[in-house]
Amino acid sequence: MRKCVKCQNKAVVYLPQHRLSLCKEHYMEWYARRVEATIREFRMFSKKDRVLVAVSGGKDSLALWHVLHRLGYRADGLYINLGIDEYSERSKLLCDKFAKDRDLVLHVVELKREVASIPEIKQVEKRPACSFCGQLKRYYMNKYARLLGYHVIATGHNLDDESATLLSNVLSWNMEYLSRQFPVLEEREGFVRKVKPLCKFTEKENALYAFLAGIEYVEEECPFAEGASSIEHKMILNQVEEKSPGTKLRFYMDFLRRMHPLLSSEEVSLVPCRVCGEPTTAEVCSVCRLRERLSPKPLSSSASS
Amino acid sequence: MKVRVLYRGQWLELEFEGEKVKALELLKAMGLSRESAFVVRGEELLTEEDFIKDGEEVRVVNAISGG
Repeated sequence: MRKCVKCQNKAVVYLPQHRLSLCKEHYMEWYARRVEATIREFRMFSKKDRVLVAVSGGKDSLALWHVLHRLGYRADGLYINLGIDEYSERSKLLCDKFAKDRDLVLHVVELKREVASIPEIKQVEKRPACSFCGQLKRYYMNKYARLLGYHVIATGHNLDDESATLLSNVLSWNMEYLSRQFPVLEEREGFVRKVKPLCKFTEKENALYAFLAGIEYVEEECPFAEGASSIEHKMILNQVEEKSPGTKLRFYMDFLRRMHPLLSSEEVSLVPCRVCGEPTTAEVCSVCRLRERLSPKPLSSSASS
Repeated sequence: MKVRVLYRGQWLELEFEGEKVKALELLKAMGLSRESAFVVRGEELLTEEDFIKDGEEVRVVNAISGG
């Protein structure tokens, strides 16, 4: 039986990559300290900042909101209802419950009201759902964070997400994406600062935290994510991790420390979208172009926000 | 021996030889990685070395997600 390295009681969690055995109490403490240290390491935000946590109802984002609240940050939630039938209904319910139980502020954006639901968009879009869904979420996250006066958007991206994305970008040598892969994306014309405080935590570490904190979250996979290549990349990395603990963390952190500073990121110039006014590199942003495909009416030239 | 497993909203019944099985063996039998999955019995989080006995019900959480 493994014992907690802090108190010698029975350990419930063993983290091979950190060679650490911990009981429930000390795991919760370790997790919160490591989140705080990550926020400081990358100078993500301070306790004066108003932080908007993008919550999906899943383990990562709710664990993030929970721990930020515990650490005393001014963190509110933003839920984007994607309109994916029962899956979205349950996600929304759990985010609502999480906020109400803790007396926290949750903002809700209804995608169906803004543009159309994901299943409706899928009928006119050839791209994988995860691709346009991610784009829409980034658009509305940024728009509402700015409109509601938040300084920072925090997302629940974890080490598995980041290392799988890194692997994918390295396999295709996508230098543009590699240069942009960093846990902090600075604020710039029309874009609110974006941060990933859980980038050094595995999915399992976040799920363990959520379980031990008594957070009810959606365990089921999004029906549109089935067969996503990111899952394949995560499984490959987990196979390596089983044989060589610490590989994912080393792969990601050494990229940030050694490789990222060598990559030059060309600053693309941004202009306000002719239709909605959101920042874009083209005359009309991708969301407005999508909206046009869904309802082919001439686009208005006045900004709606 | 038989173990009932709740996995992503579905009940499964798994059979093993002997009278008890380690949580890690259960994960392996389900084809899940110890890097992403863990076992819960009631409110208790099981370690990989903890045993599950004949007739017990457990929940398996797989943290891997795509998108």
